[in-house]
Amino acid sequence: MFDLELNIRSWSDHLRSRGNFKETDILELENHLRDEVEDLIGAGLSEDEAFLISVKRLGNVNLISQEYSKVNSDNLWKHLLADSIDPEEKSKNRKNIMLVIIFSLLAGTLAKLPEAFGLHMNEPDAMLFYFKNLSLFILPFIAAFFIIKHKLSWKMIASIMGVFCLTAFAINMYPSYDPKDTELLTGIHTPIFLWLVTGAAYMGAKWKESRSRMDFIRFTGEAFIYGVLIFCGIMVLAVFTMMIFSAIQVDLGWFISDYFFVYGGCAVAMITVYVVEVKKSIVENFAPILAKIFSPLFLITMIAFIGAMVLMGKSPFMEREFLIGFDLMLVLVLGLVLYVISSRRAHDKAGVFDYMNLALIAAAVAIDSIALSAILFRLTSYGITPNKVAALGENILLLVNLGGLAWMYLRYFARKIDFSIIEKWQTSYLYAYAIWMAIVAFLFPVIFGFL
Amino acid sequence: MNVSKDLIAASATPIILAILKDSDSYGYSIIKMVKELSENELIWTEGMLYPVLHRLEEQNLIEAYWKASETGRKRKYYRIREEGLKELEAQRKQWEMVHSALSKSWANQNQK
Repeated sequence: MFDLELNIRSWSDHLRSRGNFKETDILELENHLRDEVEDLIGAGLSEDEAFLISVKRLGNVNLISQEYSKVNSDNLWKHLLADSIDPEEKSKNRKNIMLVIIFSLLAGTLAKLPEAFGLHMNEPDAMLFYFKNLSLFILPFIAAFFIIKHKLSWKMIASIMGVFCLTAFAINMYPSYDPKDTELLTGIHTPIFLWLVTGAAYMGAKWKESRSRMDFIRFTGEAFIYGVLIFCGIMVLAVFTMMIFSAIQVDLGWFISDYFFVYGGCAVAMITVYVVEVKKSIVENFAPILAKIFSPLFLITMIAFIGAMVLMGKSPFMEREFLIGFDLMLVLVLGLVLYVISSRRAHDKAGVFDYMNLALIAAAVAIDSIALSAILFRLTSYGITPNKVAALGENILLLVNLGGLAWMYLRYFARKIDFSIIEKWQTSYLYAYAIWMAIVAFLFPVIFGFL
Repeated sequence: MNVSKDLIAASATPIILAILKDSDSYGYSIIKMVKELSENELIWTEGMLYPVLHRLEEQNLIEAYWKASETGRKRKYYRIREEGLKELEAQRKQWEMVHSALSKSWANQNQK
């Protein structure tokens, strides 16, 4: 069967890869192609005939691209926050910026609110409270930003905000006894769970589709990178402010730590979300570039590690801290693999990075299996604690994810499945993460008696 | 008829401006209009229309805006500006001058 939609998209991807086009140019050309195809089909041609003729009429992509490069040359350095020419777009943009400002202020104020009840941010007793609630101060506003942007249905709004409210209720109403292990676990896992819930707002009505979930994964990577950069900017501003004021003997330390970082931190989160949303169609994603730079290097390290382990006959010494270390390794590998996949077009032929992905996964799975076999015995012999179970659960969760990816990759190389199946599998696996995070955050305290 | 490349390039600007003077339009419909006006004699490589449009936009002869069509597809429409109308008038004079010069010279040849 001839898939018209797929062919049109691969044609515009081809344009995109030439690099001389702005996203709006591509949209314009793609619409032209669609108009022409529709007309030809209306005149009685079949879909594939209509597509071929339309592409031919539009002309040689290389030549068009050259023409565009003459027009767009000053645009090679893209200006992210340049004003749009389109008045409709402009007013929308203003609205979004207003939202960012308002939400930053609201989030900061919400974070300051507990102080009215005597929970002061810098007191050691309140640390854990702030730690576990941190995501609740910010993520609901990010979700609200997307809810307004995508004009979500009431049903979705109610479900998303409902989850936030329930979470807030649960994590603050649970009792907690020394050594407060489960409370800390809740604090670590709640943000990840809530980030995935925020993802539902980001994806909107299409949250079940593989494509929009992939977009959310891309968004997560970019948001992380841009967030770190913008946060560095805030730090510089803080240090600078302290310094010049101290030159005239004004100590702003209290202001910086009590207000600047609270409101600044919330603003960083909101601005990051806004900037990543704006830039997505203009600037190349950075996470895949990082992933492609580092995946060969990580592969070398891991193979060297396996080699050393075999040569020296040493198996990794197993304590919980090491298990967390191996969890991090799996997360890193998953990140590298995922962001390489995210920049890949579904109909590309298998390339060097696909093979490298498989090698990376294989190395990670091999190392982790050895580690896991050593650790299972030790963990059970020293008794079960919530921390161990959580670390172990995460390890297995990641291992299954990577193992599944490896299996899919093998089938893909054997030409048994399409690449889109790999993406679909990965995006469906997000459920597993959401569920596990929820279990650790909300059920563990109950299971382990709030210890 | 095979119209030479140079002539197509030279005539593109006045034709586009003239079409836009009539009413705002978008790329695909401009192409269709050109075919109609020339009775299918002027065949443009369709992709080439857009760089020309963008150049005209840069010269401030026309301006663009996005509008959703009846089918919901977002289209980039082009509208002629004051400068564009002036340019069109100037081009019209030039082409008429060329046209009349050519007509006279051919009329002379026929008489001989």
